[in-house]
Amino acid sequence: MEIPEKAKTHATSGLPVMNIHTEVTPTVQQTPSPPAAPKSRKRATRATRVLALATASAGMLLAACGSSSPTASTSTSTTTASGSDPYLAADLKAGGAQLTGAGSTFVQPVFTKAFYTYSSKNSGVTVNYQAVGSGAGITAFEGGTVNFGASDVPMAAADVAKAPAAYGGVLQVPDTLGGVTLSYNLPGVKTGLKLDAPTIAGIFAGTISKWNDPAITALNPGVSLPSQPITTVHRSDSSGTTYIFTDYLNTVSTTWAAGPGKGKSVTWPASSVGSAGNSGVAGSIKSTPYSIGYVELAYALQNSFTYAAVKNVAGSYVTPSLASVGADAAQKPNVSSTDFSIVNQAGSGSYPISGYSWALIAKKQSSAATGKSLVAVLDWLTHTGGGQDQSASLDYVPLPTNIQTLARQTLLMVTGPDGTTPLLTK
Amino acid sequence: MSTISFDSSLDPILSRRAAIQKIAASSIARRKVYSKVAISVCLLCLVVALIPLVAIITYVAAKGIPAWNADFFTQVTKPEGIPNGGVWNAIVGSLIIDGIAVAASVPFGILGGLFLAESDGPAAAAVRFSADILTGVPSITIGIFGYIVWVKTVGSYSGFAGAFAIAIIMLPVIMRAAETAIRGVPVTLREAGLSLGARRSTVARRVVLPAALPGLLTGVLLAVARGAGETAPLLFTIFGNQFFQANPTKAMEALPQAIYTYSSQPYNDLIQIAWGAALLLMVVILVLNVGSRLMAARLRRERR
Amino acid sequence: MSISGSPSPGTARRTWRLAVPDRTYRILLGVAGGIFAALLIAFVVAMATQAVPAFSKLGVSFLWGSNWDPAHNHFGVLPFAVGTIETTVIAVALAVPIGLGTALALAYLAPRRLRAPLSTAVELLAAVPSVVYGLWGLVAVAPLFRTTVEPQLTSVLGWTGLLGGPNQGVGLLLAGVILFIMVLPTMVAISRDVLAAVPHDQVEGAMALGATRWQVLRKVIVPGARVGLLGAFTLATGRALGETVAVALVIGNSAHLAPSLKANAGTIPSLIVSSFGEASGTQLNVLFAAALVLLVVGIGVNALARVFVRSVKRSGAASVTVA
Repeated sequence: MEIPEKAKTHATSGLPVMNIHTEVTPTVQQTPSPPAAPKSRKRATRATRVLALATASAGMLLAACGSSSPTASTSTSTTTASGSDPYLAADLKAGGAQLTGAGSTFVQPVFTKAFYTYSSKNSGVTVNYQAVGSGAGITAFEGGTVNFGASDVPMAAADVAKAPAAYGGVLQVPDTLGGVTLSYNLPGVKTGLKLDAPTIAGIFAGTISKWNDPAITALNPGVSLPSQPITTVHRSDSSGTTYIFTDYLNTVSTTWAAGPGKGKSVTWPASSVGSAGNSGVAGSIKSTPYSIGYVELAYALQNSFTYAAVKNVAGSYVTPSLASVGADAAQKPNVSSTDFSIVNQAGSGSYPISGYSWALIAKKQSSAATGKSLVAVLDWLTHTGGGQDQSASLDYVPLPTNIQTLARQTLLMVTGPDGTTPLLTK
Repeated sequence: MSTISFDSSLDPILSRRAAIQKIAASSIARRKVYSKVAISVCLLCLVVALIPLVAIITYVAAKGIPAWNADFFTQVTKPEGIPNGGVWNAIVGSLIIDGIAVAASVPFGILGGLFLAESDGPAAAAVRFSADILTGVPSITIGIFGYIVWVKTVGSYSGFAGAFAIAIIMLPVIMRAAETAIRGVPVTLREAGLSLGARRSTVARRVVLPAALPGLLTGVLLAVARGAGETAPLLFTIFGNQFFQANPTKAMEALPQAIYTYSSQPYNDLIQIAWGAALLLMVVILVLNVGSRLMAARLRRERR
Repeated sequence: MSISGSPSPGTARRTWRLAVPDRTYRILLGVAGGIFAALLIAFVVAMATQAVPAFSKLGVSFLWGSNWDPAHNHFGVLPFAVGTIETTVIAVALAVPIGLGTALALAYLAPRRLRAPLSTAVELLAAVPSVVYGLWGLVAVAPLFRTTVEPQLTSVLGWTGLLGGPNQGVGLLLAGVILFIMVLPTMVAISRDVLAAVPHDQVEGAMALGATRWQVLRKVIVPGARVGLLGAFTLATGRALGETVAVALVIGNSAHLAPSLKANAGTIPSLIVSSFGEASGTQLNVLFAAALVLLVVGIGVNALARVFVRSVKRSGAASVTVA
């Protein structure tokens, strides 16, 4: 058996490994010839290497710091012309704003597409929206690290009180309308499995644990349901989508109201899988057979999910669609940030699990220029002819006219640092 | 003179030796079998250890290579529904953030390595201890440290915050590698420089560091490989950005962050971009690792 | 260059006049070194500052409370602490035997020419980014677990009562296995080095006595490397405790104590990843407190590991048990 060669350093941990027979400092005998004796050619190579390293680091530093000034529009969404893409803009306007927003994953598909379109038309303005969940969006907005937040449930009075005093109050602008589907992954079962309120509450509370439970089979005669256990999927992060869904369950089921209740985060049974974001839940449903979870309509449609037909107040089983969500919203035209729930509305065509999503902005913007861009973008976003044109193609319901008016009225209240002059000029 | 004869049965030591030899001879077959079995188990463990590596590389390559096209490397990330998306903004962001982190941590790391190599007192022990501990700190705690130190105080997410967190991760690695490399420089060289009357700083700058340069470069490469692959420090510091952003005072995108964000999207083209980015990141880090090992091996051979 | 006396010809190169006095140089180096210590201290202080309000508002009991429900102001982090320990135990329990076997193979048993490339290959496992591990675990390994591994395991080991519940793929077991793969290179690299560093004379002595290869390994080499192996084990544990992204992607994210190995769970790092963005006020303080606990435990484990590994280098001759 041969004695192996010893390594000099751990490649993984970087610790020096010495032969335990030697001291920590290597002894003189180990070096046959000092490498400092070499000729100038080797020395030049070493010097060149040092120089190259120094130049590379300096170059990177310079590239990082020197190439872009704070307000320059280097952060446009355009690259140099590859003219086939219809979204490329030709001009780079000087001055502009780089806005950041964080929050709801409910609205992420329509927001990112809409802001991309906006930037291609007004290349000086970029809106960097990151979908981190409604709760995280509210926290980031309160922390002042983003220009606006987005949440499927407006901030409660307690949250509004936590906002910085410099904001002068929080304005909440409705920006999207969508529905929450109950998507399931049941091999062989098509869209439209009928579920009613007590059944849904039972499934997500864990009391109904198998697919062929009598409660489900009673509602769906003729559909062969497997005897597999149900895997429910919920949101592991603080979520406005959870709020809308649990708001619905809260309204229709007293046991649910007494138990988990409604909120951006509730207690789910131990067997329920938690995933982050609407996209995480969609991914979990997609990859887990015999699972069911709640995802926003756009995600369900674009992933070709099968989803349930939910029984509404009028007693009809309605599948979520742009029409049925719109019908539900139309039943309650007067919403505001304090009276915002539209779940379980009357009407035979209403899909009961629907909700608006809200953008949160400071009433008193700290910079007039940024504030102006912000209200202009949000105004474009919430109106027909602007962002709302994107909605239908992305499976969101366009905002009803009166809600668009509400949005504009709210945006007109935004002022600059002086606290008086409205920034929106319309 | 009497003849000396050895009778094993009378001498206790020799009889003991004969007994042991008998046992050994009778058990040799059994022991050989045990040995063969045990050695096969060890070699099997080796195979088991290698299976995940092969599996993950082939899987990520299979998923990621279809995503690699010209658009992938030159276009920024596009929202769902818009074609020709890529990860150019993430690549640039990663380069800038890691570049700043390296530029910040290399000087401190080298100076720290010099300090550790040249002194052996309790101060050096304390510094060595803290560096060792910093390597073991969970990277998520470094991420939230970066958040409260940089993001909350400045008021916005930025590439610098991410670079700060990554630099904290790189620092101890560079310092330990620098210490090893500098200790590897023969004492004779340093003594020769000092005996010529040069100051210690001159000796360090013109004798020790150039001689330790290959080891230093190896350490820097390893540190870059380690820092470039970290996701958790970036999650709460750089925020992400779908647009191109090369200004590190603003929120940026980086490869690990992009992978984390886009892999959970339910849209197939975005998922494919995430896999392409995963393959790119993995390839870069593997190349850095292998390259640093090759360099280390070459310098070991040069030194002989 | 401030050389006193004339330099000998041939070495009279002009140097920059940047040569700093020796004392300044020593101070500069001391400052650079001190920055590390200062960084660590600042780190712990920052964590502690954010964590202390949690202790003052909630006492210490939240550390072992089992009800995590921030919406109703319940902040028990026990489920996550237990989840952290459970995933670490699974990972290390797998990594120690397999890592030891691999290290022995790489140090003594594999064909000589293959040793260096194979060692590099195993260490390359450490080079794969954590997020790629998580993705691969979620997309490639979880379905395998759900369809094959978990049913097989349950049929073989179900009697232990540890494997109840449905086969979901994601969960504690998957997280433990992915963690095992991630800590394996650490275990193997350090074990291999300490095993290779056992004094040759003892090995040769054993061989001269007629021991078979396995007997030499088992009775001389592994005991001789005992302390270093302990160091490798503790380092692997430290690494497993702190792993974040890969675990968060495959563990299922439940806020309850996992009733079985196949169930969903949470670890403290995965808790921080999923709820840090939305946490404010007391919840934020609690998260920092949990991070602080994790930090302290991780520091302790790592310090212990370094003590073990360093004492191998300093001890001169390793002690050997003669069986």
